[in-house]
Amino acid sequence: MALRELASLEKYLGLKKPNKYSTQGDKKVPVLQNNNGPPLVGQVTIACHLVKEAKRAELLGDGAEGRAVVQQWLEYKVTKLDCCCKEDIKTILKDLNLYLQDKVYLAGNQFTVADTLMYYGIHPLIVDLAIQEKEQYVNVTRWFDHIQHYPGVRHHLPPVVVLRNRIYTGRLH
Amino acid sequence: MTKEDVQGATEEEQQAQSKKALKKQQKEAEKAAKKAEKQAKQAAEQQSTEEDDFAKDRYGVSAMVQSQQKLDRTLVRVQDLTAEKADQLIWLRARVHTSRAKGKQCFLVLRQQQFNVQALVAVGDRASKQMVKFAANITKESIVDVEAAVRKVEQKIESCSQQDVELHIERIFVISQAEARLPLQLEDAVRPDGDGEEEGRATVNQDTKLDNRVIDLRTTTSQAIFRLQSGVCQLFRDTLTQKGFVEIQTPKIISAASEGGANVFTVSYFKTSAYLAQSPQLYKQMCICADFDKVFCVGPVFRAEDSNTHRHLTEFVGLDIEMAFNYHYHEVIDSITDTMVQIFKGLRDNFQTEIQTVNKQFPSEPFKFLEPTLRLEYTEAVAMLHEAGVEMGDEDDLSTPNEKLLGRLVKEKYDTDFYVLDKYPLAVRPFYTMPDPNNPKYSNSYDMFMRGEEILSGAQRIHDAQLLTDRATHHQIDLEKIKAYIDSFRYGAPPHGGGGIGLERVCMLYLGLHNVRQTSMFPRDPKRLTP
Repeated sequence: MALRELASLEKYLGLKKPNKYSTQGDKKVPVLQNNNGPPLVGQVTIACHLVKEAKRAELLGDGAEGRAVVQQWLEYKVTKLDCCCKEDIKTILKDLNLYLQDKVYLAGNQFTVADTLMYYGIHPLIVDLAIQEKEQYVNVTRWFDHIQHYPGVRHHLPPVVVLRNRIYTGRLH
Repeated sequence: MTKEDVQGATEEEQQAQSKKALKKQQKEAEKAAKKAEKQAKQAAEQQSTEEDDFAKDRYGVSAMVQSQQKLDRTLVRVQDLTAEKADQLIWLRARVHTSRAKGKQCFLVLRQQQFNVQALVAVGDRASKQMVKFAANITKESIVDVEAAVRKVEQKIESCSQQDVELHIERIFVISQAEARLPLQLEDAVRPDGDGEEEGRATVNQDTKLDNRVIDLRTTTSQAIFRLQSGVCQLFRDTLTQKGFVEIQTPKIISAASEGGANVFTVSYFKTSAYLAQSPQLYKQMCICADFDKVFCVGPVFRAEDSNTHRHLTEFVGLDIEMAFNYHYHEVIDSITDTMVQIFKGLRDNFQTEIQTVNKQFPSEPFKFLEPTLRLEYTEAVAMLHEAGVEMGDEDDLSTPNEKLLGRLVKEKYDTDFYVLDKYPLAVRPFYTMPDPNNPKYSNSYDMFMRGEEILSGAQRIHDAQLLTDRATHHQIDLEKIKAYIDSFRYGAPPHGGGGIGLERVCMLYLGLHNVRQTSMFPRDPKRLTP
């Protein structure tokens, strides 16, 4: 999973030569053999390295605060999202929905690598949502729809249909 | 363990027990003594006061009404108690909804069906202290005859349906006394879902309500629901009669299942067995063959499906329509949809009070419909669902969630809660459905939906004996068993179509309720046969 996400990220970043990854341990933590240094371990570490290699440092956030927010969400992605069980889904979506209420991207007004990886991570959750639930977490779906249509991001994932109109207004049936 | 040991143990136990029993006895004796004392005191009080009770003829428990006398007394209806009747002395029969004594006064809320009025007994020259006490002690739900003066009130009484007046009781007689303990409280049964939790008050769950249906039916909500239901039947009859339909009665005990034998009830019929009709389908069609042209039928319909859902009953009331048409089965659809629209209009115009009453407990948006009724083709509906990201085959039947979702999509796009879905795939319809001449995979059949749930299933029927035989064989139906049915089409049968509506579902969906048991007076489902 993590490897495909990294491959998609590489493509988004426009890196010409795809890297070769191996995995480590039961949880299949991705490992990148670096030509001129020690191997890099872990999805977030590798992702940040790829961003720098592509000379797209702006994707890691603007200023100290922005960078911290990006790191925060990258960490959230690997610790919460990637190993969430069924019971957590609702809490995750609820919290994220609240957080995204007044934001276009996770870091505010700027697209960052956190949006990409969070999109990859949350995709399996969104795919399974019924239309009514998508409407319930309307801020998440708005953000999700925006990211999946963001040029070059989607790659290996199937698109998810998101309705533009609310159909569950009024009382629930 | 030896025998002695056992004995010793039991003796000890007995002793312990007897000690306990002794204590218990003592306590009970004390209680009894106290009770006797109290009773004596009460009796004494009563005796002492009875003599100087000037109003003792003005209240009491009446003798059982055995039609001893014809009283020349007009009983006013609670709903007629308005400011116009102010200062009149009237008689009234009603239930005691609540009573609350407060010093020298006793407030009663008298209820008659969904209407109620505040009444009061106050110590004065018309009522004595004892009378007030008597009034306060009348059990809830007892039926009383009351003579009272109607008085205007300065401040509206918010809790009653008659807000402008109250009654000053001069006489009160109990006609039928209710037992002190009710299986459920009416106030609890009409409390909207969310409210109880916030205030820590009780709500009554569906099963308790149904177990004590007689009491539950007294609630304002139930009263309104079933008045509206009666209205649906009446509007259905009136509209169709006006269109030249004939009402027919069909047998419910039948020899063969009309749509395959899996979901019918079998009853023993002398030496053989019979079935309970799933629909009057075959009979209304036979009436068409017998030149009745346009028929309808209101009666019970049985389904032996073991489905415990919010919208399935094993016995419900079917409103069935069948009519001959000239050239196109859309003539039938138009006739049925127009009937439905007339019903919706009739309800909207004549049953606003009932709708509001139900809305108080079960809020829902007003029912919306278009004129003429929206008609979608099955392929369009499937396209709409595809667009919303639903994966389904072109000729698959609609699953319940998809049905509901489609209802939402249609509501959003066309702003209507009522629509017709036309041209169903032939494979998902019964054998007597006429295939579509342009595409044999589809059929001239249709469903109608209210708030995204199916209420009617109908089609153009095959009126040609040969084609009917072919289709029945295709569905692997034993031709012997439906011989009489097929034979009726051999001697000239007009093209015809029709459909059947579930009365309970129509009421449920019109009012935006969540469970069909709420609109069935004595519901029958796989788990309920009583009351």
